[in-house]
Amino acid sequence: MTTVTEPSTTTAPGPTPEPGRRVPVVSIEGLRKSFGSLEVLSGIDLDVHPGEHVVLLGPSGSGKSTVLRSINLLERPSAGSLVVDGREHATPRTSGLFAGAPRGTALQLRRTVGMVFQQFNLFGHLSALDNVVLPLRSVRRMSRRDAEERAALELRRVGLLARAGHYPSQLSGGQQQRVAIARALALDPKVMLFDEPTSALDPELVGEVLRTMRLVAETGMTMVVVTHEIGFAREVGDLNVFLEHGRVVETGGREFYDECRSQRARDFLKAVR
Amino acid sequence: MGGPTLDWSLVWDSRQLLLDGLVVAVQVSATALVLSVVLGLLLALLRTSGTPLSWVAAAYINTFRGVPALVSVIWVYFGVSLAFGLTFTVFQAGVIALTLLYSAFLAEIFRSALSAVPPGLKEAGQALGLRSSRIFFSVTLPQAGKVALPNIGSMFIGMVKDTSTFTVIGLLEVVRVTQNLVSTTFQPFVLYTAAAAIYVLAAFVIDFGFRLLENLMTSPPQGRLARLLRARRRSRVERLVARHSSDPDPSRAPATT
Repeated sequence: MTTVTEPSTTTAPGPTPEPGRRVPVVSIEGLRKSFGSLEVLSGIDLDVHPGEHVVLLGPSGSGKSTVLRSINLLERPSAGSLVVDGREHATPRTSGLFAGAPRGTALQLRRTVGMVFQQFNLFGHLSALDNVVLPLRSVRRMSRRDAEERAALELRRVGLLARAGHYPSQLSGGQQQRVAIARALALDPKVMLFDEPTSALDPELVGEVLRTMRLVAETGMTMVVVTHEIGFAREVGDLNVFLEHGRVVETGGREFYDECRSQRARDFLKAVR
Repeated sequence: MGGPTLDWSLVWDSRQLLLDGLVVAVQVSATALVLSVVLGLLLALLRTSGTPLSWVAAAYINTFRGVPALVSVIWVYFGVSLAFGLTFTVFQAGVIALTLLYSAFLAEIFRSALSAVPPGLKEAGQALGLRSSRIFFSVTLPQAGKVALPNIGSMFIGMVKDTSTFTVIGLLEVVRVTQNLVSTTFQPFVLYTAAAAIYVLAAFVIDFGFRLLENLMTSPPQGRLARLLRARRRSRVERLVARHSSDPDPSRAPATT
């Protein structure tokens, strides 16, 4: 499958990707994943280029979250190749751009890729500030002072500096998710993964998280997003991938939401709209 | 027939001896508690490790949860010395005996506490690129510790009570002291009632102490002690926030909410 992206003609944020001339930062080829005898991914190909915003869509059980979780090895692929930032993390390729790519470790990979979860997954025993400080200290080996300065900066970016000393139990779901975004961004990832970041939120809290994500997109961050927020997807999705039964049914650029070819994708979009 | 008169003034007269007995009991129990927490945590990790060693841990846990403290201390104090020529002081023997038993109980407490930590937190740690040891000590353990703490408090009360059986090796704990007093005063009812009251008192004090700890470990920490301990940290965060709020960041405007 090729992942040709139409040049953006809308007013959407983010730089125009030039996939033809850029090396993908994430490259998946023939990715398979089985849980016991159940195959949830049956050969996925996907290239994500620097600065590109990829949206994964599909009905529940289609495998979109598994694709996302495979990108940082929270799920280990059963077969196929996963190249992130030039390093192979699954089965090495024999041909193509990434043939003979050096092998990378899971730790290297995860320090390159940030992730935001549906359930926020903030550390409940730490304040918002310390949630951001902990990985900076541990991964970046920053001093407490430097880590706190950086964490304050990141919390300010998501509009939660004033809540720095609050614990997750004292924050709304939307605020927790914004702290989680700040925590991931603080480590300067090359790619950000969002796994249904607004699905666990009360409807009135969805907007603030999407606003924060839009700001992240505007900085040119490479993003892979699993979401049912079609409005947001339409706005930021440079590359839109529709999955079903562990396979890619259709991919499209910005025109995808108006001109998708497959009946299945049309039905899905009609249902979630 | 008239029974012997109950001489309650004996309790007050013997208070120093009885309280000395309590101090010994608490010293043995506290030392054993620290060791049991470490050993219990290791056993819990082994038991859930899925390696052949998890069977060893399971066997240990089920054996020592079933052994009475009295038997345990006789093994350690007399048995080990007979079998291996190792001799322990009564204090050491008491600590070892309690540790053998209570590490088994604590292993089960930790096992359930560890399984109560949401798996998403570990995943978040992994996704952030934290090493597994860092995830364990900075994420999993603090969360599990909070869950386990009330049960650890109950175990500690049980340990203090179990020291009463160590009278068989001559440890000068509350019951031993009471027996000594009874042999000279012939007031068993009065003195054993006093001994029981001392255990109950100890249980109240331990419970109070663990409640303070629980308050410190809730998020956010509760109570006056927590406020006192966290005052410096809080003002540090407040200064940080104030500085960053007033400091314009030309590179990126803060997100509006």
